[in-house]
Amino acid sequence: MSNPFQHSSPSFNGDFSLSGLPTPINQRRTSYANIVSGTTALTRPPPAGAFSHLLNPSPDSDMQSSLYGPARRSRPDTTFTQARNGTPGEEGTPTMWPPRLGAGLPWFSHAFDLYMAKEPLLLGGTSDDGFGNQLPSISSTGFLSPSYLRGSVYLQRLEEAHKAKVVAEREGHAAKAQTGTGLVTGGNAHLPNSKLPSGSHRGVAYELIEKLPVTEDDETVSPLPSRWNKDDKDVALEVLGDGYEVKYTGRNSSDHEACAIRADHHMPSQCGVYYFEILILNRKKEDTTIGIGFSSRSVALTRPPGWEPESWGYHGDDGNSFAAQNVGKPYGPKFGPGDTVGCLLNFREGTALFTKDGNDLGIAFRDVNFKDVKGKLYPTVGLKKPGDHVLVNFGQRPFMFDIDGYMKKMISENIKSADTSKLAPSLNETEFIQQLVLQFLQHDGYVETARAFAEEIHAEKQALSLDPDDHIPGINIADDQEANNRQSIRRAILEGDIDQALEYTNKHYPTVLADNEQVYFRLRCRKFIEMIRKEAELNLLLEKRGAKQQQLRYHNVSLGLNSGHHEDDEEMFEGNGNAISNGHNNNNQSFQSENLWGDEAMMDDATTTTTEEDGSDLALGVLSKLSQEALAYGIELRTEFAADPRREVSKHLEEIFALIAYPNPLKVKEVAHLLDRAGRGVVAEELNSVILMSLGKSSRAALENLYAQTCVLLEDLRVDGGDGAFVTVQSVIDDIPKPSLV
Amino acid sequence: MSSLSAAFGLGGSDIDPALRETIFARFREKTGRMTSSTSTTTPSKHAFEARVADVKAPKSDINALILDYLMMEGYPMAAAKFSKEANLQPHREDPSIRARQEIQHAIHTGDIETAITALNELDPEILDKDPQLHFSLLRLQLVELIRQCNGGDINPALEFATKKLAPRAAMNTDFLKDLEKTMALLIFPHESLQPELAALLHSDLRRKTATQVNEAVLLRQTKRREAAIRHLVKMRAWAESSARTKKKDLPDRIELGLHGDDNDRRDGTHENGLEPMITT
Repeated sequence: MSNPFQHSSPSFNGDFSLSGLPTPINQRRTSYANIVSGTTALTRPPPAGAFSHLLNPSPDSDMQSSLYGPARRSRPDTTFTQARNGTPGEEGTPTMWPPRLGAGLPWFSHAFDLYMAKEPLLLGGTSDDGFGNQLPSISSTGFLSPSYLRGSVYLQRLEEAHKAKVVAEREGHAAKAQTGTGLVTGGNAHLPNSKLPSGSHRGVAYELIEKLPVTEDDETVSPLPSRWNKDDKDVALEVLGDGYEVKYTGRNSSDHEACAIRADHHMPSQCGVYYFEILILNRKKEDTTIGIGFSSRSVALTRPPGWEPESWGYHGDDGNSFAAQNVGKPYGPKFGPGDTVGCLLNFREGTALFTKDGNDLGIAFRDVNFKDVKGKLYPTVGLKKPGDHVLVNFGQRPFMFDIDGYMKKMISENIKSADTSKLAPSLNETEFIQQLVLQFLQHDGYVETARAFAEEIHAEKQALSLDPDDHIPGINIADDQEANNRQSIRRAILEGDIDQALEYTNKHYPTVLADNEQVYFRLRCRKFIEMIRKEAELNLLLEKRGAKQQQLRYHNVSLGLNSGHHEDDEEMFEGNGNAISNGHNNNNQSFQSENLWGDEAMMDDATTTTTEEDGSDLALGVLSKLSQEALAYGIELRTEFAADPRREVSKHLEEIFALIAYPNPLKVKEVAHLLDRAGRGVVAEELNSVILMSLGKSSRAALENLYAQTCVLLEDLRVDGGDGAFVTVQSVIDDIPKPSLV
Repeated sequence: MSSLSAAFGLGGSDIDPALRETIFARFREKTGRMTSSTSTTTPSKHAFEARVADVKAPKSDINALILDYLMMEGYPMAAAKFSKEANLQPHREDPSIRARQEIQHAIHTGDIETAITALNELDPEILDKDPQLHFSLLRLQLVELIRQCNGGDINPALEFATKKLAPRAAMNTDFLKDLEKTMALLIFPHESLQPELAALLHSDLRRKTATQVNEAVLLRQTKRREAAIRHLVKMRAWAESSARTKKKDLPDRIELGLHGDDNDRRDGTHENGLEPMITT
């Protein structure tokens, strides 16, 4: 189950106050959402939640929920996936409430009004981490992480530095702050040890990141641009609203071509691609002359971006682009009040482009080695008319332009055109993949499939043959007894017949279980699970047939176990029970495919034959027997592994023993997954893998090697904060449509 | 406690008690030691290999890749068997899988006319909407006609080219170039062709065109062009070459173990199971 509010939370982390909406509504809504979603309500301390929304009426408002709609269903193993792919999770470090929050709000209520009028900005800008989860761009501690840079080592390093800073700050504060309540009124609260689920919203402490030393040295990780720089602007400009807004407040002076302002930090070339957007806040109909672009600090602040060396820009008054000279080229549309204009610098390809209202306007500058420009390049805007007023988005909010899509497209173009001939020099791509698949099928003992596939490949080869007389030799899938053995073991496990699997394994590979006690343990546990499963399924069946009454009696029967009747009962169960279990085995397949008719028919027989015998019901007898067996086996299992000190062993045992506690674990969501048939596959593969090892074969087929190698290679590529950050093996797997249940 | 002992008897029937004792003894013996049974790392190995060994390649992912491939690239028999053997979701055959396979088969055998007819039946709009695809098919048909008339009557090929291909080529310079190249096959003897022209007569062109058609159909039906495994293979190739360009610390060769020619295995006698390939 996913929490749509958790994942779809956009990144309006407390930059503004929802002036129109009374806070209590938001608050209630939020808690409702949390309760509905079921996960966060437990972990979130109520005071924190309540407080955070008083201060920070952010994203869970109705506006957000309707705009974002239900989040995509995330894979249940999302966290695992992320860990595997090296994506940094959201940190749960305690949060600081910067004193400025109260003070900064008025600016933003103003700014926000304008945003409200421009809803598309919100729509276009959902950030996606590439795994189908939408994450906020600013963490609970105010760490700015634009979606398109996530996964890059650049951002990871930046984050580490940030965390260290937060910890240091917190320790400083902790001495002063009151512990226990965690709430300090007056706008400055410190909440120790409160854990928020990822994606929750808290105040934003931008100050922290600003305290990182500003440096132009490549050795240290330079922070991302985060605000306009009050100290790097023309005097006619005023920085407003927490440093995101800039307004021309000076007089109209003719001796200035424009008044420019730069961001606090330069665009780091290590991030490969940098993007920011501005929204022009002037009232409609107002005349504006605004230019957007980037420049180094050597460029005079009295010139609009693009007119000087080390300066590039796109101007709204004429739609021209300027590349380090004051003669422009027609580039895009003009822009003015209400427009959102973006600037993208691609360090890797040496290109830059602009966007308007989310649309890519095409490459404006190409073949510029931005990395080697002498000065570092800063996001820059130039304003000319009094009243010119822009709000910048350095990634603290979702962008209107689909920057993630841009990144992915760039990489996937490269991948699409990748030359695969080096992987297997003698084969073309199609043949190579055929071999990969065939080898996997044989390696893993899918004998029948391998044969069918080989035939189909052969037919294909024959069709392709230009000379009809050519003899195309078939692929001889050797009747590999060994593969057959492994397949029969696998089949037994997949059918839930663990005893059979153990028997086969000991027969064909006598040392394997002794050498791999982990797998042996798993198999034994699986057997227990299968017993519980069988019981639960039968239970379900009885219930289905409206046998509630009988169930009550079943309880009586099991309660009577210790009574004197017990022996008789047992005998009777043995007699007919064996027949039943045989029938059960035969019907196993249909049972599993939810086609319960076979069993039901069987049960009917059982019921009719036994109702005549002193009133006891054989169906329930079988159930009771299954239950007893499971219990007894459970005790045996516990005794056998009681001495094992390993945490995972005792933990797993506890987990599966808990199944006994439920009348029908299949109906209990929290534990039903333990009974899932998918678990059979896992055990089967573990066993297959150790058998292969025992035979001195590689435990992995070439395809599995290829998979794992790709994971590691991508990991390496992420170090540069580029390429690898936008592709994951998981995304390839996720592309495969999930089989729909028939 | 008869039920308990009965249960013990039942539980014990699967394994010989002596064996269980052995297992148990070893179990205790190994306790406390990390179970690194899956790691085949030896000190001589490159760090990269060790990292690869630590990465999980979940079977569920691999199985999904395989089934997806068999379905998408048109191996219906194998797909059905695999669903069964790997106990995957009840197999529901994609209705187009056979149609696609028949079209591919027709193209592979050089019977383009049949392929075009079948393609139009499957998706009447596809050729109109995709001139590139249509041209590729007709061009292949021309190649097949030229192949048939090798040394003999070239009129059928000429007529086909003027009637079907020339009007299309007039609209697109790329098409025109391709057509000119193909027509050159009529002039030069097939035994002494330049490599570029010889490639047209190679069966790879059939395969390529068949794949192109299959992908176009898939794209229109499922919005996916190619099987995920192809994507993965390309990603692997791309990742390696990118990593090498960036001078990452990699072994000279990253072995896949496809032919058992890697040194992953402890004994070199038994292959991974691919040696029965008797291809020429």
